[in-house]
Amino acid sequence: MSTTAVPQIVRFAAENTRDVGDVLGIGPDQRVKWARGLLPRGPVNGTIFYAGEMYPVMGNAEGAFRLMRRLEGFMNINTLAKAGPIMKKLGIYTTGAKALWGGINEEYERALQDAVFVLKKLGVEMGYLFEDEPPSGVALHTYGLLREFKEHAKGVHEKLKEMGVRRIIALDPIVATAFKLYYPEFVEGWEIESYHFVEVVAKKIAEQGLKLKLGRKVKITYHDPCYLARTIGVVDEIRFIISRIEGVEYIEPPRHGVNTGCSGDGGLELTQPPLARKISYERIEELRETGADLVYTSCPACMMMLRTGFDSLNYKIGVYDLASLIAEAMRNEIDRVDPMKPEFKRYNVLPKSPKPKSLSLEDLAEMLRRDTDKCKKCGFCNVECPTANALDMLESRSARGRMTLINSLVRGDPVRPKEVLDRLYSCVLCGQCSQICPVGLHVQELIIYGRAYAIYSGRAGVPS
Amino acid sequence: MLASSLSNALSEIRRKIGKEKVLTEPEDLYAYSLDASTEHKTPPSAVVRAYSEDDVRVVLEVANKRKVPVVPRGSGTSLTGASVPAVPNSILLDLSPMNGIEVCIEDGYVMAEAGATVLQVDQECRKYGFFFPPDPASSRIATIGGALAENAGGLRGAKFGVMKNWVLAMEVIVPGGKKIRIGEPVYKWRWGPDLLSLFIGSEGTLGVITRAWLKIHPLPEKVVRVLGLFDRIENAGKAISEIRRRGYVPMILELLDRETIEIVREVLGYDVPLGEAMVIADIDGPEEAVWRIVKEVRKAMEESGGETTASDDPEEMEQLYLARQGAYAAVTRAYPGVLLEDITVPLSKLMIALRELDKLRKEYGLRMPIFGHAGDGNLHPNICFDPEDPEQVRKAREMFLKTGKLAIELGGAISGEHGIGISKKDLFLEEIKAVRGEGYIELVTQIKELLDPNGIMNPGKLWF
Repeated sequence: MSTTAVPQIVRFAAENTRDVGDVLGIGPDQRVKWARGLLPRGPVNGTIFYAGEMYPVMGNAEGAFRLMRRLEGFMNINTLAKAGPIMKKLGIYTTGAKALWGGINEEYERALQDAVFVLKKLGVEMGYLFEDEPPSGVALHTYGLLREFKEHAKGVHEKLKEMGVRRIIALDPIVATAFKLYYPEFVEGWEIESYHFVEVVAKKIAEQGLKLKLGRKVKITYHDPCYLARTIGVVDEIRFIISRIEGVEYIEPPRHGVNTGCSGDGGLELTQPPLARKISYERIEELRETGADLVYTSCPACMMMLRTGFDSLNYKIGVYDLASLIAEAMRNEIDRVDPMKPEFKRYNVLPKSPKPKSLSLEDLAEMLRRDTDKCKKCGFCNVECPTANALDMLESRSARGRMTLINSLVRGDPVRPKEVLDRLYSCVLCGQCSQICPVGLHVQELIIYGRAYAIYSGRAGVPS
Repeated sequence: MLASSLSNALSEIRRKIGKEKVLTEPEDLYAYSLDASTEHKTPPSAVVRAYSEDDVRVVLEVANKRKVPVVPRGSGTSLTGASVPAVPNSILLDLSPMNGIEVCIEDGYVMAEAGATVLQVDQECRKYGFFFPPDPASSRIATIGGALAENAGGLRGAKFGVMKNWVLAMEVIVPGGKKIRIGEPVYKWRWGPDLLSLFIGSEGTLGVITRAWLKIHPLPEKVVRVLGLFDRIENAGKAISEIRRRGYVPMILELLDRETIEIVREVLGYDVPLGEAMVIADIDGPEEAVWRIVKEVRKAMEESGGETTASDDPEEMEQLYLARQGAYAAVTRAYPGVLLEDITVPLSKLMIALRELDKLRKEYGLRMPIFGHAGDGNLHPNICFDPEDPEQVRKAREMFLKTGKLAIELGGAISGEHGIGISKKDLFLEEIKAVRGEGYIELVTQIKELLDPNGIMNPGKLWF
């Protein structure tokens, strides 16, 4: 990558995504291990279960994140990221990294296995692409490498079409978002339908009139992942599914549904781990105060942040994927009630996405200037912004401050792209700012486009 | 001021309070270069983040010694440029990290540090069945320090007045670093001349308010929202004057004109009734009395030519409140350029003011939705224009000045609650001249010189 403003860790993550498909560079061999013998190879009636590039390697990521905490104060993430390519060259990356990260947590792979079990039990016919599953490349989008993402997405589309894929069921809400929103925007002729796991499961449970029995009594709460609730508007399905599991006492956290709080991920866990951890603690306190014994969620990154956060704070509360709860109940006992035709509300709380004419610097600048000029600096976004709150309302790492900085960057004020990018990378992309913006700015997407502009401007800084 | 003075001042401040609190990276500075006025863009040369009173003392001691300008800032929501530098080489003093709040119900006050938001203060009081009445539209982000420095008001101003009506005591740091404690947190005290009002509304030109002890009020037992619809805007003005003349003091007494109602309906999608003008009145009081007063207020509106309804249904009440609260946001969504006026006229002149504003709007051919806290004579005409069209920009500027002059002619004020800052300096001097206030200028200038002999406090604001 020839871009000069991109920090080492993002460069490492992007190169790994390009070369082997996942940000850690672990590769397809390990990514498909969880699925051996579970599903037929290739689409079934055009449908595939899509594991994506996060769930299968999240156990490793959790190890890496825990390591970063131990190294805090001695080494920052970008210094550590420099070791990655060297280790790769020496052929010791996988074994070396594993040794450094410690034991791999298999809870994430279990979530995938449980999701497949649930879908199969509900009679969903689907296959899996195994090593041929093309990684969504959503990390490229997250980090603002939009030209690379566009190129990558085009290849993914061709590959999926070639294999006859017409329908995707994804467990990861970030890739579900990518296929629902970003692919149609970046890939011409994208017609593949995509669903998040809970959308399919809720519909089937309702239509088949199922009532599940867990066989034990548990007090649980649920952390809505921002991509699932706020970005694609899937909220009611989760409550419906939980209501159909006997034995579960459900406690709603104060911020839930489209108003969910952030658990500190959205890419920040990779670029600025200490800040990510700080943000997660606030959410953890909120979830703990519900009095629940177990926390469920539906996002590998949220799960990782909550798991490590609960551990760091010495709270003995387990965090699991919702798929595992459903599977546990289905393995125990299934009862029948009246079938129903479900109509779940699709929430739409975010403003219209910004659309540059192209990804050229000129078009990016034109769109960013026009949109960030609209910002009235009312600061309502900052009230909700997790990073602003974690940093005592530090303006330059707040939602409003980022709008000001993007405007300064594209207007040619003497700010340095690399430093602006660092502040834009401090955002978790939770979207609370976009939801509240009185002017109707899609703040987090402007931040992604702002990242792209800072990256492609080709400069790390401006002469003083 | 010499650049070396600034540099020496910053070195000394860093040494005394810690370098991590002093920001000088251009990207941090540009993030602080704007406030909600959006038109006065000047980055400071440094930002000092104040975490304690001692931090503020050090900054004012060193800056005074080195003659470096200091701009105090809460959360940067000034609509007139009060919280951004007007001169180069300034230190911006960010008070947002100082946000402690302590409620003392027994003694009837809440103590808040400068950086606590007005809403946080209100919410803390509500936990005990009390509330903090001033409610600027920006209360969720506006800080107590900023609201006091601007003497902010809000929707409940019709009954409860502005910030200065709610202050028992304050602590202020003046140039040189001395702390002045004014008053005590008791409802009566005698201390010679009352210096509270000297600092309240002084826009940070005399010193920095670091904390305040504020009066609190019991939550009303019952609130009923009355809606009046009028086919002529003057009649709405007449109704407001009549309600007040008959001795009724609603907690909220708001006015929205047809253009505002149309924009709120179109942009925010609120289903509020359409008319030439709308008056919203909140009647509060004991359950047994409130409906009787509602009847009288409705009568006053109906005798002025309005059609009325009243409701104590929380959902209906909320819908109307959101429509009024969201009016400015709706206008800013609909128009890329908006100059927000903030005039106050005597209630007896409200009808004339509304008629003259309507003439002005027709004369210039620009849209000018009007809403405001008409119960206290405070109107917010929003002059809408296309910032890319120089002719419209010129017209908008002229309308802005003429609106201010109209307020002066009618014996009112050019600012009810937004302050003077940079935006209204010229109009302010006209107002002073019109009421033969040369003596006022002289006296306040002498006070300024006494407290701030080196002119370091927020230079370029008011007439300083």
